[in-house]
Amino acid sequence: MAEATASLGPSASGGLYLRTRRWLTHAAIFGTLILAWEIGTRTELLDPLFYPAPSKIITSFWRIYVTQGNIWKHLYVSIGLVLAGFAAGSILGITLGSLVGLNPLVRRFIKPYVIVLEATPRIAVAPLLIAALGFGAQSKIAIIMLVCFFAPFINTLSGVVNVNEEKLELFKSLGASKMQILKKLVLPEAVPVIMAGERLALTAALSGVLVAEFIQRDQGIGALILTYTRNLNMASAFACIFTLTIIGFAIFKGMELMDRYIAFWSHEDGMTRVSQNRNVRWAKQGWAR
Amino acid sequence: MQRHAVRSKASPDQNAPVVSGSGVGKTFASGTVIALEDAGFSVPKGRFNSLVGPSGCGKSTLLRLISGLIEPTSGSLQVHGEEVTKPRQDVAMMFQRATLLEWRTAIENVLLPSEIGGRVTSEDRTRAMELLKLVGLGDFAFSFPAQLSGGMQQRVALARLLQTGADVLLLDEPFGALDEFTRERLNVELLRIVTEIEATTIFVTHNIAEAIFLADEVYVMTPRPGRIAKIIDVPFDRPRELSIQTSPEFNHLVEEARDILGAH
Amino acid sequence: MKTPFAGHALSLTRLLPHLALFGTLILAWEIAVRTGLIQSIMVPKPSTIFAAIVELYFVKGTIWYHFFVTLTEAVAGFIIGAAIAIALAVGSSLSDAFRRYVSPYAVVLNVTPGIALTPVIIAWFGFGMGSKIALAAVISFFPIFVNTLTGLTQTDTDREELFRSIGASRVQIFTRLRVPAALPLLFAGLKIGLTTALIGAVVAEFAQATEGVGVLMSRFSFQLNMGASIASLLSMTLIGLILFYSMEFLDDRMVFWRREERREAVSRKRARAWKRRG
Repeated sequence: MAEATASLGPSASGGLYLRTRRWLTHAAIFGTLILAWEIGTRTELLDPLFYPAPSKIITSFWRIYVTQGNIWKHLYVSIGLVLAGFAAGSILGITLGSLVGLNPLVRRFIKPYVIVLEATPRIAVAPLLIAALGFGAQSKIAIIMLVCFFAPFINTLSGVVNVNEEKLELFKSLGASKMQILKKLVLPEAVPVIMAGERLALTAALSGVLVAEFIQRDQGIGALILTYTRNLNMASAFACIFTLTIIGFAIFKGMELMDRYIAFWSHEDGMTRVSQNRNVRWAKQGWAR
Repeated sequence: MQRHAVRSKASPDQNAPVVSGSGVGKTFASGTVIALEDAGFSVPKGRFNSLVGPSGCGKSTLLRLISGLIEPTSGSLQVHGEEVTKPRQDVAMMFQRATLLEWRTAIENVLLPSEIGGRVTSEDRTRAMELLKLVGLGDFAFSFPAQLSGGMQQRVALARLLQTGADVLLLDEPFGALDEFTRERLNVELLRIVTEIEATTIFVTHNIAEAIFLADEVYVMTPRPGRIAKIIDVPFDRPRELSIQTSPEFNHLVEEARDILGAH
Repeated sequence: MKTPFAGHALSLTRLLPHLALFGTLILAWEIAVRTGLIQSIMVPKPSTIFAAIVELYFVKGTIWYHFFVTLTEAVAGFIIGAAIAIALAVGSSLSDAFRRYVSPYAVVLNVTPGIALTPVIIAWFGFGMGSKIALAAVISFFPIFVNTLTGLTQTDTDREELFRSIGASRVQIFTRLRVPAALPLLFAGLKIGLTTALIGAVVAEFAQATEGVGVLMSRFSFQLNMGASIASLLSMTLIGLILFYSMEFLDDRMVFWRREERREAVSRKRARAWKRRG
C-alpha cells in the first residue's frame, strides 16, 4: 500500500531573520483569515447560525472544557473505545497477515477475498454490526476493530512476502531453520511496513469510533458533535472538531515517536542511541573487545 | 556445535580436491534455459579459483550449485568428497551486496552465523571481534550498517563470512558494487586473509584483470549455453602486489582470456 | 515492490480450484446455519442472501436507483476533491512560498478525521446529495494532494540538469519532466482518493439521507433483515470495484511504461505512426 510522504513541515532552513519573517507572514495570513471570518459573521455576510465566529468557538472551548466540563466524559469514552478496537484489530491484522504471508497455498486462494474486502468500504458494515451485537460498547469496538484490521493485515502480508531474496539466500546458505528465518529475518524486516500499517489503522480507528457514535447517538465525542449540530450550537460542534484535530495530531506525533523507537534503524538518532546502548551492554558483560 | 573445528577435519591427503564436479549441468524454467552445461573441475585445498565471463555464462549458477542452494539437473558435485545436496556448514557464501541486517550492529551481523548454528559462546564473540579488527573495523563494532560506507559494509560481510569457520569460501562478485580503488584494496586484503587461513576459495567476477590478479586458476566461461571454455593457470606467487598487473606476463594472460571471450 | 500475490491470467483451470473452494465454503456455511451449528440473527443462510440479491437486483430492481445515487455522490465528490487537490499541489510545487503558506492548513486537514465534519456538513449542505458530495470531496482531498505534491517535487538532479543543458524552459521542464514523472504517484493518490470518496458518501448517508445504498443498508439492518442488508452491502463492494478498476485502467493507459505488454503495444503504435508519416 503506497503512502506518500511529502515535505509539508515548515522548513528549518534559513537564518534567524528569514525565519522570523516567515513566522510573521504565517501569523499575518492566519490572523487575516480569522479576522475576515469574524467580520463575515458579525456583519452576517456569513450566517452566524451555521458559521460560528472564531470568538464564539473560543468561548465554547472554555465552556465545554472548564465551566461546564461536559466534554471530558465523552472524550474518555471515545478514546477508550479507540484504543480497545485498535489493539484488537491490529493484533488480528498482524497475526492473520503473517499467517497468510507465510503460507503460499492460503495466499493463492485468499486473493479474491482480499480484493473484495479492499473494494468494500469497511465502515459500511457498521449498521449490520450494531443490529447484530446491539447498541453499546461491544458493537462499537467491533466496528473499530473492523476498520483497523485491514491496513496492518495487508502491510504485514506484503512485508512478509517481500523479503529480500539475497538475504534469504544468505540465511539458507548458513543452514538456518524456517523458524530462524522468520524470527531473525522476515519479521524484523517487515517492521517498518507494519508500523506504517499501524499508523493508518489508528487514524481509521478514530473515524470508526465517530461513525459508530453517529449511528448510536448515545455518548462519546461523535454523539456530542451530532447533538450540538442538531441544536445548531455550531460553535461547540467546532470546538469538538478542533479537539479531534488535536487528538489526530497527537496520534500522528505519537506514532512517529513509536516508529523511531521500534524501527530505530531507519532513523539516524535511533541508530546512535541503540548503538550506544549495545556498546554499554557488551562492556557490562565483560565480553571481548 | 563447534564449527571452527571443521577446518581440521579436511582431507588428510593434500592433493585430494576439496571441491570437484563432473558433467555438472543446470537447466532452468521448464527446460528452455540451459544455464550451465557439462562443467567439470576440481579445486585442491587452499587454492583460489576465479570464474570469469559475461552475464548468462553460468558463473553464478555454478557457485550456487556448489553452495547447495540449488541442485544440478545433471552430473555430480562434491565438497570434501561428499555429494552436495543442501547448504553445508563448511561452505560459506558472500554476495555482491553486503546483505547485512539493518537492525543489527556490525558485531551482531558478524555473530549471525554463530547464532544460526546454536548458542553464541564467548569464544564466538572473541572471534567475531578479532575478525572485525582483521578487516579493519575494530572501532565500528557497534555501528549499524546504514552508518557505514559501502566498502565498510562489505568488510563486515567478509568478517561474517569468516565467522562461519567454513574452509570453502564462495564469493559472488563481492566487491562489484564498489568503486575501483576500494575494490582493489579489498581484493589485496581478501587474498592476504584467505592465504592466511588456507581457505579454498571460488570467486565470481566479470572483470578479467581482477579474476587473474586473485586466482591460481581462472575458469573462463562463455554463455548460451553456459560452460567452462578454458582453464587458465596463473603462475604468480602469493602474496601479490597490485604492480604485477602491469607485467607483460599478466597482460599476456588477460589477452588469452579476452581472446576466448571475444571469439565466442 | 511486488504485490503479495502473483499475477495470474484468468483461465478456467486456474479459476476452477477457486470456484470449488468458494462453493465448499458457501455450502458449509449453509449447512452450519441449517443444522443450528451457527445460531445468530447476524448470520443469515447464503440462500437467504441469494434470494435477497435476486429480489433486490433482478425481480424488483429497487437497488439500482440507490446504487446510482451513491455512485454519483462518490464520483462527484471525488472529482471536486481531486480538482482542488491537484490545483493546490501544482501551485505548491511551482512556488516555495505558496507551499509554505498552504502546508500548515493541509497538515491540520490531514490530522483531523474528516468524518467528524459529517453533521456539520449536513447542516451546511442539507439532507440531499449535496452534503454527501461535500463530505466525499473533503475526505478524498488529502491523499490526492499529498501524493501529487510528492510526485511533482521529487527531484532527479541528473534529468533536471539534462533538461537545462538543452535549454528547456521552466514550463517545458514542468510539462515534459515533472508531470510524467509524477503520474505514478498521482494515480496512487487518486486510487486512495476514490476509495475514501465512497466512504464519505456512505457515511453521510448513514448520518442523514433518504436515498443511496447506505440508507438502504442501515434500514434493512435495523429491520433485522440481514439477507437484504448484506445484499445492499455487496452493492457497495460493486461500486468500489467499478471505481477502483476504472482508475486502474486509466493508470495502466497513461503510465504505459510500467508494464511490459503495454510498453510493447505503445512501441508498436508509435512505430506505425512514424512509418505513416514517412
